[in-house]
Formats: sequence, structure tokens, C-alpha cells
Amino acid sequence: MQRRDFLGEPVKHVKIAGKLSVNELVQQFRNSGSFGAGRLSTACDIYERMVRDEDCTIFLALAGAVVPAGMRSLVADLIRERLVDVVVSTGANMVHDAIEALGGHHYKGHWLVDDYTLYKYHIYRIYDVFVPEEDFVKLDFRLASIFDEIATENAGKSLGSNEFARELGKRLEDPNSILRAAYEADVPLFLPAVRDSEFGFAHWLHASRENVKHTLMLDAFKDVPEIVGLCRRSAKSGMIVIGGGVPRNTIQSAALASKKGMDYAVVITMDRPEPGGLSGSTLEETVSWGKVKGQADKVMVISDATIAFPIIAASVIERLSGDFKRATSNEREKLQAVEESE
Amino acid sequence: MKKNPVERRFCGNCGSHNAYNYPGQVFCSKRFSEDKNPVVDTLWCCEEWNSTSQECYCVREAMKKQG
Repeated sequence: MQRRDFLGEPVKHVKIAGKLSVNELVQQFRNSGSFGAGRLSTACDIYERMVRDEDCTIFLALAGAVVPAGMRSLVADLIRERLVDVVVSTGANMVHDAIEALGGHHYKGHWLVDDYTLYKYHIYRIYDVFVPEEDFVKLDFRLASIFDEIATENAGKSLGSNEFARELGKRLEDPNSILRAAYEADVPLFLPAVRDSEFGFAHWLHASRENVKHTLMLDAFKDVPEIVGLCRRSAKSGMIVIGGGVPRNTIQSAALASKKGMDYAVVITMDRPEPGGLSGSTLEETVSWGKVKGQADKVMVISDATIAFPIIAASVIERLSGDFKRATSNEREKLQAVEESE
Repeated sequence: MKKNPVERRFCGNCGSHNAYNYPGQVFCSKRFSEDKNPVVDTLWCCEEWNSTSQECYCVREAMKKQG
């Protein structure tokens, strides 16, 4: 490289002249191209390319308190608009989704509070969000009956977490529910760490009763061929990761096992790579495993996802406005099968 | 001598309770496991009462509500 190659594009300064739409602000970020703003605008561009790429299956990883922080309807809408094809979530996020679907709420609270007083009032704190204990208990109580129903209908059969999520979605009526949206849109929703959430305790309640006839059985390994198959059958794959953890690893491992690697990747995290944990690992590190392709269109946004993710989604939706309609992964698979048979 | 409410035995200070319809009713996991109605009054009590490691405001608030 020569000296002039390093000095190709000057930073254009952000200009806020009158009203700006979300996407117009993101374009200003792109003009400056610097630091977090530059990465955020790149993430919008990559997500837009994923959505417009008819061969791409888009995986969404949800880790951290996405639902308590108010992003539930956003995720449900992305599922209904077919702007994601597969969701992999912590069990906890779907627990919080179900809490709201059954009439419970998350409340705006504060991080400066006497937590022992909250304890005595049976209120749980998620940073500055409060959840009353009774909403969990009512969920457990309802889930115990739902688990009875599912267990009876599937007597002796173990379900994968995707099947389990579908069974739950089928029984929730709230249109803003992620579980319901995934069920209605026929979008696979995997919960690889389902036991490590209130679902685990609800199962304990369900199974602990003296007269329980059928106990719900889940098979954690059943998801593996299913999600690897989704990657294998996809001409291209892209992932949007909120946080990281088990959901990110589940998607990346499927990309590795399918011997394909991701073609697109957007990771939104606040974690650091130095401690060696997956949530902070760079996408370059992921390339070394073959989970993300070396030439993949990728960016890591170091940001609180409650800020970055709605901006990315809003910007891309604004760009797609009009009669843009994305085919579902099932429709694309069928089309691909027809093309291959011709 | 009249016992302090927190020293008296209620469902609301039993180790098997969780909040349900705060503060009037609690959820009893013990009764649930026995296939009995698990939602009971906070100020009720049964012979299976067991102590809890940390106290809460359920009894105090239920008494306040009861007047």
C-alpha cells in the first residue's frame, strides 16, 4: 500500500438539519464512518444485504434481557415480516415473552434501589427493570397445565426445543408474543438452554405433583440435526447476534457442522474478547473456526443492543419500504427444489 | 401475651409461599405438589408450615390491607 491509499475518504461531519428519519441519521453515521457510528451504519448495510439476498437464511440470536428491555414486539414484527428466518434464544427471553402474553408486565424501575426491600416485596430486578414475582408464579402455574397438555398429546415422545416452542406459541394468543409470531409464521425458534430458565422450574412444578400422568420430555440433542440441516439447505446464511452466549454458539456451531460458514454476520455486544468468552469473541476469531467465512460481510457493533438493534431494524425497514416482500425460507427451499428438479 | 405478627405462623411467612395476588393471596408450592388448590390467603396457615430463611412483607401488608 502507498501513502495515498490510507487517505482515500475524508470524514464527513454529521449534519443535523431539521428533522431526520432513523435511516437519514444512519446515513450521517455512514458519512462520518467513525467509531461506533461507523460500525452501526455498516451493520445496517449488512442486514439490508442479508434481507435482499434471496439465497440467504437469516438467523437471529437473542441473549441477555432482550424482552424485559422492551424489544419483544420488535422481534415479533421482524418474524411476521419475514425479516428473520430462524430464531435461537435463551429460555429466559421466551419466559419473559410468555409472562407478558399471559397478562404480566415488566416495569420501569431504577438501578439505585434497596434490593433487600425489593426482595421483601417479592419484586425482582433486572438492572432498572422490575418484575413482580407473582407474574413468574402465575406463569409457572399456567405452564404446569400447558406442560400437562403437551405431555399428554405427545405421550412418551421427547420434543426438541423448537417443537416445544411451537407448542407454547400455539397456546398463546397475544399477537405481540415472539412465541406466537414464530408459531404463526412457521419460523423455527430454538431454545438450546431451555432448562436454564423459569421453564425448568415450571417443569419441576409440573412433574412434582403426586398425580401427574405424563411428564413433558425434551431432548436437547434433537435440535442439532434440525438446525444443522437448516444451514446445510441454505445457499447462504447470515446471523444477527444480540449479546452472544449459547444462542450465538448454537448458530455458529450449526454453520461449522454444515461446513458452510456464515456469509453475513452482525454481532451486537458489550463484551470484550480478552477473557476468551464467546460473547466477546471477535468475528475474526470466529473465522478461524470456519463458523464465519473469511470473506464474509461482517461487523461487530460494540453497543448496548437496546440502542443499536432498534436503530438497525428501523433503518433497514425504512430502506425496504414500499412493496418489498421477502420470501420465507420454506418458500425459498421449495423454489430451490423445483429449480433443481428442472 | 399476644405474639408479634411476624412471629405468628401464616402462609405469608411460610417457606413454601410465593407472591400470587399480593398481598392478599400467596401461592403454596407444597399444596401444588399435593394437587390441592395452591392459591391460599396470606393470613391462613396449615400444619405443614415451615420456616423461611428471609422474611418478607407479605404478612405485614396483608394485615394492613385487612385493616
